[in-house]
Amino acid sequence: MWSVLTHAMHRRRFALAWWALGVAGMCGLLAAAYPTVRDNHELDNTFANLSPGIQTLLGLSNNNLLSSPTGYLDSQFYANIWPLIVLVFTIGFAAWTIAGDEQAGTLELLVANPISRVRIALARYTALLALTASLVIVCVVALSALAPSTGLNHGLPAARLAAATVAAALCALVFASVAFAVGAVTGSRPAALATSAGLAIAGYVLEGLAAQVAALRDTRWINPWHWLLVTDPLRHGLTTQAWLPAAGACTVLVLVALPPLARRDLR
Amino acid sequence: MHDPIVHTHGLTKRFGSTTAVQDLSLSLYPGRILGFLGPNGAGKTTTIRILMGMLRPTSGRATVLGKPAGDVATRRRIGYLPGDLRVDPRLTGTDLFAWFARLRGQHEPDLVAALCDRLGLDPSRRFGALSKGNRQKVGIIQALSHRPELLILDEPTTGLDPIAQREFLVLLRETAARGAAVLFSSHVLPEVEHAATDVAIIRGGRLVTYAAVADLLDRARRRIELRYASPPATAAFDGVPGVVDVTVDGATLIVTIDGPVGPALRAATDAGMVQRVMPVDDDLENLFMTIYSDRGDRIEVH
Repeated sequence: MWSVLTHAMHRRRFALAWWALGVAGMCGLLAAAYPTVRDNHELDNTFANLSPGIQTLLGLSNNNLLSSPTGYLDSQFYANIWPLIVLVFTIGFAAWTIAGDEQAGTLELLVANPISRVRIALARYTALLALTASLVIVCVVALSALAPSTGLNHGLPAARLAAATVAAALCALVFASVAFAVGAVTGSRPAALATSAGLAIAGYVLEGLAAQVAALRDTRWINPWHWLLVTDPLRHGLTTQAWLPAAGACTVLVLVALPPLARRDLR
Repeated sequence: MHDPIVHTHGLTKRFGSTTAVQDLSLSLYPGRILGFLGPNGAGKTTTIRILMGMLRPTSGRATVLGKPAGDVATRRRIGYLPGDLRVDPRLTGTDLFAWFARLRGQHEPDLVAALCDRLGLDPSRRFGALSKGNRQKVGIIQALSHRPELLILDEPTTGLDPIAQREFLVLLRETAARGAAVLFSSHVLPEVEHAATDVAIIRGGRLVTYAAVADLLDRARRRIELRYASPPATAAFDGVPGVVDVTVDGATLIVTIDGPVGPALRAATDAGMVQRVMPVDDDLENLFMTIYSDRGDRIEVH
């Protein structure tokens, strides 16, 4: 099982290196651009006049001002770019774990070995978590190191940066887990990617609309975007509400996918 | 007699409305090499993938090494080569052999090195950079590198050059000689005739023939070409037991015999002065062509 995990990590080592570089660069850019926003209070007024839906999507509800470090980081990074980065980084790998490998024909030789499909799937899902954790660490370290240069860390301990980074990554991991589960059950990589990306986009749009459309408010309890945006870990830390629903959803998705995977025909 | 290494009974697999394998029953014993022969789409790969546990049978039973097909722990004792071999192109042969050795808990670098040497493979090259034949060698070596008790190979000689092909057939015989069983599919007859002890012919998902190769050869019609000093008297063959057909072209006569050749040879000497006798060596081929085409009746030899 360990060797399946290391093989999966090994496959993605160059990708991880490039993504880490990109994330570090993104963090540098964020810090460098902060002074122009910090000193421009007219922007605060402009954003305060936006519709509640847009404000929710930007993480700017509840008087989270754009010019403050939390408002800036939420609206420019944690409510959108960062979860998107993690999603794009993980979704392809998640769809590959079973379905992509199966459709490429390379799973055939591996499952002829004395290791069950379920163990292969679990080993690769673990690799997915490890890769995501690596990217999270790079992001936290880069932001903690670069934020002080422009006062972006003002009133923001590193623990809170870590909380926001982890919570948003968990939000993205829910959608990656959808790709994993759909791929494991159907054996179709396109189905895994389409379902996962479709749900991620639909969830994001719904969360924005739900702030204004009362009828959609009932969809929020199941929406990973809502779990992330409503708890705002950058301001409130990694509360149970911020991580438990997402972690629970990931666990359920993995567990639900395994029995059908063990039973079905491989392509 | 030993317990069979592979045993199937009434094995059936349907995909939607199409039946890929129907009511397949066969047994493979230690030390035997079963050639699994049939045209494309006959159900060979489906059967093999059921035995490996990649597909679940719709009905019937498949037992491999005493366990239901697909049993995880049993796979340690099986070597498998898929019909369409795909390996992560970034892995070298050495990477793949070491990885699989870890999964199987059995690493024999000397054996792997010897196999690479015999088949002529450079294991330090990445799979993606290898030719079709060399990729196939990687597949064959990983299937053999843990001394399996059962080898299941789907069209193993595809892409191999004649030298590697011959060495591969020697490897098969060595594997069987140490008591393992081999099942390999093919649509090339001479290969099966050469290497296999038994042959199972499958057509349209059904087993049409299942016999020892030697028995099948005995059963095959023999054709003998006779050269006479002058045009022979064909009437000598009239009513001779086993003679199915006689054709004459000048002083050359071809007699087709079904069964023992003795009476026909006696008739041949009665027909004239025989100068040369030559067996016509395409008989098994003819037999298989008959079985492959729809004209073939079910041939029972066992």
